[in-house]
Amino acid sequence: MGVIVTGTAVLAALLAGAALTYGLERLFVQHGREPGPAHDVEFNRNLHIANSDRWLLPAGPVVAVAGVALAVVVVPFGPGLIGRDLGIGLFYVIVVIDFVVLGLALAGWGADTPDTVEACYRIIAQLVAYVVPLGLAYVGVIMMARSLSTISVVNAQSALWFVVLQPIGFVLYLVTGLMQSYRAPFLEPFAGSIGGGVLGVSGGWSALLWRVALSGVFFLVAAIGAVLYLGGPSGPVLPGWLWMLVKTYALMALMLGLGRCVRPLSTAQMLALSWKFLIPLGLVNVLLVGGLILLGIGP
Amino acid sequence: MDSSPKISVSPVVTDYGFVALVLVMTCGLALLAAGRFLRAPQRQIDISPVWAQFRFGYGIYALIFLAFDMEMIFMYPWAVVFADIGISAFLDMLVFIVLLGAGIAYAWGMGGLKWE
Repeated sequence: MGVIVTGTAVLAALLAGAALTYGLERLFVQHGREPGPAHDVEFNRNLHIANSDRWLLPAGPVVAVAGVALAVVVVPFGPGLIGRDLGIGLFYVIVVIDFVVLGLALAGWGADTPDTVEACYRIIAQLVAYVVPLGLAYVGVIMMARSLSTISVVNAQSALWFVVLQPIGFVLYLVTGLMQSYRAPFLEPFAGSIGGGVLGVSGGWSALLWRVALSGVFFLVAAIGAVLYLGGPSGPVLPGWLWMLVKTYALMALMLGLGRCVRPLSTAQMLALSWKFLIPLGLVNVLLVGGLILLGIGP
Repeated sequence: MDSSPKISVSPVVTDYGFVALVLVMTCGLALLAAGRFLRAPQRQIDISPVWAQFRFGYGIYALIFLAFDMEMIFMYPWAVVFADIGISAFLDMLVFIVLLGAGIAYAWGMGGLKWE
């Protein structure tokens, strides 16, 4: 029975986190600005598209929610409050969180409308842009923590947070995290000009699942960011889960606030930014962190 | 199961068994959501089909991405053992990163890094 309870707790954490994320995000939506994944959806009516694919379209939201839920398994919410401390934790997160992209691409192509097929292409271009610099931001942390396990990463920061030791990696994570969660300024796949992309052809149960998946992915990006750079649930006086909550949503508010300061980028601009600037920066960051470790700085 | 200490199961099996359980429970959650909206009214959209061959603007990016994604994954095991090995691991990775940097510079110089 123990595993069932833990599994339920993991899903409950995802749902609560996604709900809080959506609430915070609505606070940042300004009039006249694109809401991106916080786009309005129709909850009270199902949608039928005459020529949509029978299996691909409904598979999309299920695959996306599954990816997000699987990633929550390794997020430490406090001492002992973790689904499973997998040995390959951070690598596992990178792999399963990309199922959101697969789900969006499946639904986009499966719906077979001009807007969603366009959204499918944009989603995949966004994956090509963010995965490598995001992975390089993780590498710096793994080098200092000497482990892929999320618990070890938190313990390695007991003396000093990695945001102090690796400021370049943190900036890299902020930018690629916004790309990964499709938040402004990287919301091209959910742009109003293509009717909100996949969200435009969701309704009823699929709208509900998309809301969970798209809020959940931002929640995860912020929670993993707090684990990687802000020491996760560790902190004085207050209980661990409260520290984790504060750090996650403070990081999320920072990302939303910074994202609103920049004009939305087109997919082509985003690819150029990633490959001409972020990836070289990520490689330099790996070398810098290596140099710091050789000098004996860090845990 | 955690509650049966007599049978010794590899932690890999229990860990990923739990991951599989979460996957199954998520599918159950999706079914619950679908069931909840079973009798909801329907909205119909009729748009002519658009499935066709598309020309996509990021072909070269996608090709370089395949190489760099693999490269990034090679870095993970290296990053875990880096601090224990020290300077020789650093020099190895320096060579690797110089080669990769040369790869990006070449692709950029040949005009690969642009939307077509």
